[in-house]
Amino acid sequence: MSSRQEFFTSRWGMILAVIGIAVGTGNIWRFPRIVAQNDGGSFLIPWIIFLFIWSIPLIIAEIAIGKKTRKGTIGALSEMAGEKFGWMGAFVGFVATAIMFYYAVVAGWCINYLYSSFSGTIVTTADHVALWDSFTAGYQPLFFHAIAMLIGVYIIYRGVVDGIERWNRILIPSLLVMLLILAVRALTLDGAMEGIAYLFTPNLERLFDHRIWLQALTQNAWDTGAGWGLILTYAIYLRKREDIALNAAVTGLSNNSVSLLAAIIVFATIFGIAGAAGVEELEIGTGSTNIGMAFIFLPQLFTQMPGGPLVQSFFSSIFFLSLSVAAISSLISMIELAVRVFMDMGLMRRNAILIVGSLGFLFGIPSALSLTVFYNQDWVWGVGLMISGGFISFSVIKFGADKFRREVVNGEGSDVQIGKWYNYVISLLIPLQVIVLIVWWLYSSTQWDPEGWWNPFGAETLGTCLFQWGIILALFIGFNKVIVRRTMKHTAKRT
Amino acid sequence: MDTATVITMIFVLGIVWGGCFYVVSLAMRRERRKIANEK
Repeated sequence: MSSRQEFFTSRWGMILAVIGIAVGTGNIWRFPRIVAQNDGGSFLIPWIIFLFIWSIPLIIAEIAIGKKTRKGTIGALSEMAGEKFGWMGAFVGFVATAIMFYYAVVAGWCINYLYSSFSGTIVTTADHVALWDSFTAGYQPLFFHAIAMLIGVYIIYRGVVDGIERWNRILIPSLLVMLLILAVRALTLDGAMEGIAYLFTPNLERLFDHRIWLQALTQNAWDTGAGWGLILTYAIYLRKREDIALNAAVTGLSNNSVSLLAAIIVFATIFGIAGAAGVEELEIGTGSTNIGMAFIFLPQLFTQMPGGPLVQSFFSSIFFLSLSVAAISSLISMIELAVRVFMDMGLMRRNAILIVGSLGFLFGIPSALSLTVFYNQDWVWGVGLMISGGFISFSVIKFGADKFRREVVNGEGSDVQIGKWYNYVISLLIPLQVIVLIVWWLYSSTQWDPEGWWNPFGAETLGTCLFQWGIILALFIGFNKVIVRRTMKHTAKRT
Repeated sequence: MDTATVITMIFVLGIVWGGCFYVVSLAMRRERRKIANEK
């Protein structure tokens, strides 16, 4: 591990690392479920539109901010929007770090199920609900959470080139190969084509339903990693000669390509094994939640796959290896973000990794031991990501959208020139989408629980969001001067 | 599969997978040109 500033050694090394951020469990366990719950083909049209008016513009902004400022989220947003807005960068960094605490738990679940697939437990189990319940009721999630954090910390400890770049060069192509193997198997099952037809059959009337548009925007906001501050952090390590806009387009389109491949695998498998009744399971049954789909419903299907236990174990192992790889490649970016924020405050990289690794393990313990805490944290910080996207857009507006486009996005190293349309998207469309999304989510939460929506200690209430966001925002706004001064002092020394 | 399904499939796969293939190949071409210019 070197203490000097490292850079990605090649364009493709950088792109694979950023795809590693974008492609996570959300592509595999959330996208197919959301497609099923929103009428298949009808959902795909708004989903594509939001790729171009949410994900790619925000990825462009993040890469450009990271490459220009060479600072983590606090320093970067302080430099872009002004030092009195450094707390926004702190909030962006905190949201991604809070997600890291429980995301390491998810990565641990995937590793455990990978082990269970190898050992044959998955295919010999008759009751997958009981298997999941017995796993989460004990201390095993804690053990696997620790393993996930250790893997993530080890990769980050190796550095940007030997850790992040090298591992993503292995992980992402392997993930793609594994998904292709699963796709070939799924598409050759009897009845698989009915699943493909379901996936792509449009119901044009549903396009007038606002909920489909909001779900499509939410899916893009959650599964591309745009607006989280993670891509901004990796962009610090971009060489001056590297392009911004074209690399952002490659990242966004690759991410959605993987989502589509995952949906093809899931729908072909469901129709091939369970028939049309399987879709009902995804819509309202055991597969209607991320956890239910990945750890209960799909394992049930693997046990019914033709070819006997060995073949079933093989495909189950490949599925959970894919899920584990997707989780780890995203987890390391969350660890790197937090490490970078501490480094910007003057800590040595080694010490920052030690602190983040320890905090990641400790603050992940409640989510590892209690699904209620896990759901609460997922709810609070998942919705908090919308605010992060808004803060990144705000920093560009404060800097000057046109100046940002001309001098930074279209600056040194750019392969393609972005037109004035970008000014309107980043300064008008993105803030509008943030406002609509937050208002809708908050309004919906009052509808789901009309009696207890205000409760600050509820698992998934509006009250708990406002309570936790409020504490964090009050702390960062209160200590803004201290945090920003320390960050700017040390980053100025470095440059 | 009916016509609407086939059209949607071509539209979605064309934009997402076709778009991905296009931007990756464009990035490869631009990268080769950049390397040639740097030599």
